Amino acid sequence: MNFSWRRARSVALKEYKHILRDPFTLLVTLVLPLVFVGFFGFVIDLDYKHMRVYVRDNDQTSVSRRFLQEAASSGYFDLKPIHGQFQLDQALERNDSPALLVIRRGFGKNVRAGNPENPGEIQLLSDGTDNVQASIMGSYMQGVVQKANAVFAKDNPDLTDAAAGAGERIRSRFLFNPELNSRWFIVPALSTIIIGFLAIVLTALTVAKEWENGSMELLLSTPVRPSEIVLGKLVPYFLLTFFDVLVVFLLAIYVFQIPFLGSFLFYMVACWVYITGALALGLVISVVTRQQQASIQFAFAVGLLPSFIFSGFIFPIENMPAFFQYFTALFPQRWFLLISRTVFLSDAAPATLATALGAIVVFASAMILLAVHKFKTDVEP
Amino acid sequence: MNQNEPVIRVKDLVVSFGAFRAVDGVSFDVRRGEIFGFLGANGAGKTTTIRTICGILNPSSGSVEVDGHDISSSTAVLKPHIGYMSQKFTLYPDLTVRENLYFAGSLYGMTPKQIAERSHKLMDFIGLSEELPDPVSHLSGGVKQMAALASSLLHDPELVFLDEPTAGTSPQTRASFWALIRRLAERGKTVFVTTHYMDEAEYCGRIALMERGKIVAMGTPAELKKKFFPVKPLELSFTKPVQHAVRQALEKAGIASAVFGATLRVRAPERAELERVIAPFQDGVSVQEAEPTLEDVFLQAVSGRKAV
Ligand SMILES: Nc1ncnc2c1ncn2[C@@H]1O[C@H](COP(=O)(O)OP(=O)(O)OP(=O)(O)O)[C@@H](O)[C@H]1O
Ligand SMILES: [Mg+2]
Repeated sequence: MNFSWRRARSVALKEYKHILRDPFTLLVTLVLPLVFVGFFGFVIDLDYKHMRVYVRDNDQTSVSRRFLQEAASSGYFDLKPIHGQFQLDQALERNDSPALLVIRRGFGKNVRAGNPENPGEIQLLSDGTDNVQASIMGSYMQGVVQKANAVFAKDNPDLTDAAAGAGERIRSRFLFNPELNSRWFIVPALSTIIIGFLAIVLTALTVAKEWENGSMELLLSTPVRPSEIVLGKLVPYFLLTFFDVLVVFLLAIYVFQIPFLGSFLFYMVACWVYITGALALGLVISVVTRQQQASIQFAFAVGLLPSFIFSGFIFPIENMPAFFQYFTALFPQRWFLLISRTVFLSDAAPATLATALGAIVVFASAMILLAVHKFKTDVEP
Repeated sequence: MNQNEPVIRVKDLVVSFGAFRAVDGVSFDVRRGEIFGFLGANGAGKTTTIRTICGILNPSSGSVEVDGHDISSSTAVLKPHIGYMSQKFTLYPDLTVRENLYFAGSLYGMTPKQIAERSHKLMDFIGLSEELPDPVSHLSGGVKQMAALASSLLHDPELVFLDEPTAGTSPQTRASFWALIRRLAERGKTVFVTTHYMDEAEYCGRIALMERGKIVAMGTPAELKKKFFPVKPLELSFTKPVQHAVRQALEKAGIASAVFGATLRVRAPERAELERVIAPFQDGVSVQEAEPTLEDVFLQAVSGRKAV
């Protein structure tokens, strides 16, 4: 195997020129994720502002008032303080509010003390029947908690570093139905799906196109090897897709204000692996079908269906029958969705996602090997 | 190296697509520095043979040796020495000529400088501007073919396979193609070319006639003419408008004839018999011996086989 970087680079360069000269592909690739994610983000944003939340502040300290001020100024919540007896179920029946925010007595003291074992706690009780709104409320409250933490840390310069860190551990507890978690972050999940799908479609066309326009015959008569063609075709589409990843990420963070609590570096590495796997899967489809029409159909089937059904996007995996829980493990979308949700939602250590990362690494490697292995080096029908 | 040593040896080659034998037991040698022509009707199996020798199609049985290497086991060794211009147009339509050449050259490990020098020479010879700014899809048919030829010659291959390089091009383009092919042969390159144009076949050192997967005749143009026309074909020319009547008379006498411009070609009867049939037309018609063309040879070879 004399793999030649020069030949792989030539293929990559040629592919890059194809991309530049195909305005349609370029437009679809750059605009579709924006439109798709933007649309959903916008819809969510429209529907969920000024959500009414009843507040019971049992702490009544400057810290708790500061926290509520932070929550009110976010614009997402319409806070209604209550005193004395309050029946949440009655409010729910009246259908006028799905949530109650409780600040426990001792909240201010605990925050000030900065003891990691005993953080200040707020409690958000919300109506799990409207799980979309409840999850969104939960995520926004998480954002408020973060902001408040930053404020408390600044207000208390005399706290030690360790204690300031502990202040950030203020926990919020949400009473949700278990299914709720799967719908938590629609935008990060959607970007997972759209980018993975785009990646598959992009490369699914490339090899089939060479077969259809005859250039494959010429390629095969030269010393170029399948591994060089596969690598050469992956790289430019990788860059294109990665650009999409960044754009959608910025959109999620800055336009839709979705919190990002995990490790950015870990998320990027996972994105690289995930899009490489998806691009390589597209190549496998292309290499096997050798026809653009068939490739596109396959790409839609393989790219869209598992993204929605087996990833946990629509049906939570933990509610699936055991067989399907194992079955979904075959799909990188499931693993990447898990990574994506986790890094956005929690600051869990990357180590907890090792299995998920391992799974997409295995998938990507398998697809690359398969694409090289299945690459036909003769023109036999 | 010995000029007469065969560089391509094909032995009992069979290439099947399912049950269909596109190439059906073909054997021939091609010598170094030779222009070897492959003729045959559509679907005769010319392209299939070429693809097999270029290592992009596997033989079903039989053997193909190039430069002493078996093609099935040594494709990686042989590919750098082979230049292949496919019958189908294979350049990338959205790239310019220069970009296409650059890509092809770099796959053969050429540096940008080598590619630039070499393509400059080639384009100069072909009479094509290197600086064509348009994507290849905007170019005319002849220019496209020229560019495809340049692309297959860029890495200076020892063996050049041209599959109908002149199909659909103008007479001028064909002439410059053949000038280039001859020059390649003069430099010791082996050129394997297929064509539908019988006049082009005359330029070949040797030709093989292929029909339905089999070679039905092979040799130099002169040898073939001699073989199929030991007696030169007879030609009738007319001084009066009696051509139609003469044809009818020949038909009645069971003598096949074919219109050939203003003359009638008569296929291989005894001269005396022919003169007896045309005697009634007196000075309206005269008989001469004609030089057989490769077209005659081709028709004769094909119909001869059919008659058996
Ligand atoms: N990939 C294939 N699958 C099935 N049949 C094929 C394939 N390629 C060629 N054939 C058949 O093999 C026969 C020989 O084809 P080939 O292309 O070698 O002929 P050719 O002599 O080059 O004809 P032409 O002058 O039209 O180029 C034809 O009948 C063709 O239909
Ligand atoms: Mg052909």
